[in-house]
Amino acid sequence: MGIQDRLIEDVGLRRGVSRLTPEKIETVVRSVMASEAGARLKAYSETCMRCGMCAKGCHFALSHPDDPSYTPAAKVAQTMGVLLKTGGRVDPGTFYGIAQLAYTECNLCKRCVHYCPIGIDTGFIMSMVRRICHKLGVTPQYIQDTAHSHSTTFNQMWVKDDEWIDTLQWQEDEARDEFPGLRIPLDKEGAEIYYSVIAPEPKFRTQLIYQAAAIFNAAGVDWTMPSQPGWDNSDMCMFTGDFEMMGRLKRRHFESA
Amino acid sequence: MQPPTLWDWETGQKVVLASIERPENCAWVEEPTVSPDGERVAVLASLEAGGFTALVNGEPWENSFDKVWQPRFSPDGRFTAIVQRDGMWTVAVDGQPWEENFDYVWNTQFSARGDVVAACIQSGGEYGVCADGQPWENLFANGSQPTLTADGKSAALVVQTASLKPADLDAFQAGVFSVAVNGQAWDATFVNCWTPEFDAQGAHVAAQVRTTLYDYTIAVDGRIWSESYDCMWEPRFNPATGKVVAPVRAKGAWGLAQDGQIIWEPVFAQCWHQVISQDGRNIAAIVAPAFGEFTVAVNAKPWSIRFPEVTDLVIGRGGERVAALGNKENAEWRVLVDGRTWPGVWDMAWRPVIGPDGAHVAVKVEKNGRQSLLVDGRPYPREFDRLCDPVFSPDGAKLLIRAIDKGACVRIVADVAQA
Repeated sequence: MGIQDRLIEDVGLRRGVSRLTPEKIETVVRSVMASEAGARLKAYSETCMRCGMCAKGCHFALSHPDDPSYTPAAKVAQTMGVLLKTGGRVDPGTFYGIAQLAYTECNLCKRCVHYCPIGIDTGFIMSMVRRICHKLGVTPQYIQDTAHSHSTTFNQMWVKDDEWIDTLQWQEDEARDEFPGLRIPLDKEGAEIYYSVIAPEPKFRTQLIYQAAAIFNAAGVDWTMPSQPGWDNSDMCMFTGDFEMMGRLKRRHFESA
Repeated sequence: MQPPTLWDWETGQKVVLASIERPENCAWVEEPTVSPDGERVAVLASLEAGGFTALVNGEPWENSFDKVWQPRFSPDGRFTAIVQRDGMWTVAVDGQPWEENFDYVWNTQFSARGDVVAACIQSGGEYGVCADGQPWENLFANGSQPTLTADGKSAALVVQTASLKPADLDAFQAGVFSVAVNGQAWDATFVNCWTPEFDAQGAHVAAQVRTTLYDYTIAVDGRIWSESYDCMWEPRFNPATGKVVAPVRAKGAWGLAQDGQIIWEPVFAQCWHQVISQDGRNIAAIVAPAFGEFTVAVNAKPWSIRFPEVTDLVIGRGGERVAALGNKENAEWRVLVDGRTWPGVWDMAWRPVIGPDGAHVAVKVEKNGRQSLLVDGRPYPREFDRLCDPVFSPDGAKLLIRAIDKGACVRIVADVAQA
């Protein structure tokens, strides 16, 4: 078994691959290898002895015990291994599988690093594959949509500026019924704790903000939340391979605090 | 409030409010805000009888509201807050709400003199700006990152010019974002727009734009530079020449470009927060000559001192003084002036303030929970519970210290030479 035996349809991947040629793939692969991959990738690619120890660290491999193609070493072989062997000259159909594997069969948890006797970071290798995918415009639809949202709103769920503040004030109101005098202090300069969340909280799980406020209130701590974009500490652009936008998000969050 | 030249610059201390404690009829009061001249201190208050108001020098506003937030003094000393009644929001200035109400209001902005108060508005799911109670005629599907001209006559906002269906990658990448000035969007649309900025005269707007997922450049009044870059940061107009200066990343390193031409070679691991003197001759920026080693470069020449982080860069009007802060993982804060480190390490420090003639620098600092000032590197001989940023007199000879200490709000005018 291998990735080409389990392809799934995704609007984003299909759209991206439809615009590729082997030449375009080769150009981008060579560019990333030359300017971004460096000695680290070369060392990893030359020192993996295929011992398979990494398999025990990977939840994808553990949940497919009869299919070694899910092991980290095999997933590297099917993605970066192919790109290195061919110098990046692969056909778009092959690249579809490479992208699908990189985005859906490794979530960059890096647990395998701790099982590898020589510390090969498969998560890093997969992030470089995703970087190439991003550069080629081959990303799954819904993760790319969250990256678009991040670039626009600085949060992953298209939460608009006013919706964020309104949600905090709504949860503050709700919590005051249970805890009179509770506050969610906004933009309090010099507060000891800057509390940030991820966008699914205001979008779908507002009670989590209520509950955090209840804890801070009971603990009597000096805390605040920002009213401005920068409040979302997640970063889907890091996962799509859009490292330029990743830097923009990190800066915004850091400077918000 | 009078302009700074007419403020009370008589040396000495005045108690503005003897106690900022909660009055009996209030369930709680929030954090105090002090006016620019230090003569007024305001707090938002939750009333025992229900609702919220503001107390200015201990006196409540005539009006109370269902909710009040974002307390801010305008530069001319009026106290503003965003208020809600019957589910609708507006801005209250010295307690008087605008007549217009909106579904939401946020992000209060002021003209330089403070005579214009503006805010972002959302009405019926559409977005824009309202200035002194007058909303834009055209509203948009989304709006963010507002900015006002110095005179407050124009406002700019990053706007979304068309709705997007969920997860419509093609529509997004075709570009539906632009910058609107006084409600009129540029003709051009982009994948993204960020950080619009007016020039000194308020006649032109520059913004960062992304024309594809991979190409970054600057648009001025909707027209993009001929060059694009791997990445960039916010543009600044040179106040003397009107040219636009922005940090750009090219071939893996950062430098500065002006109107699309490199003026600082891209040799830095990072370059951002550029500031330009009023005469336009001096540009400073926070740079990283090596990865994780930050400093300040003035006219492309880095200082020799290095810190893991450098923030809060400022430049004097004439460009004769440049100051910033260095820190190590948000601790061990130091003050950096003209390439040298002032004595002392602080738990926290705030953006340096350079006097109008560039002769003096004052910085608010904190250690062991007590706040004080450094003036030209010397510690001010008194600590406070809380300080506002220091303000120099127009002639640069006096320093206004606005402080909360032992439950009182005090206003101190000190001779800079003796501070």
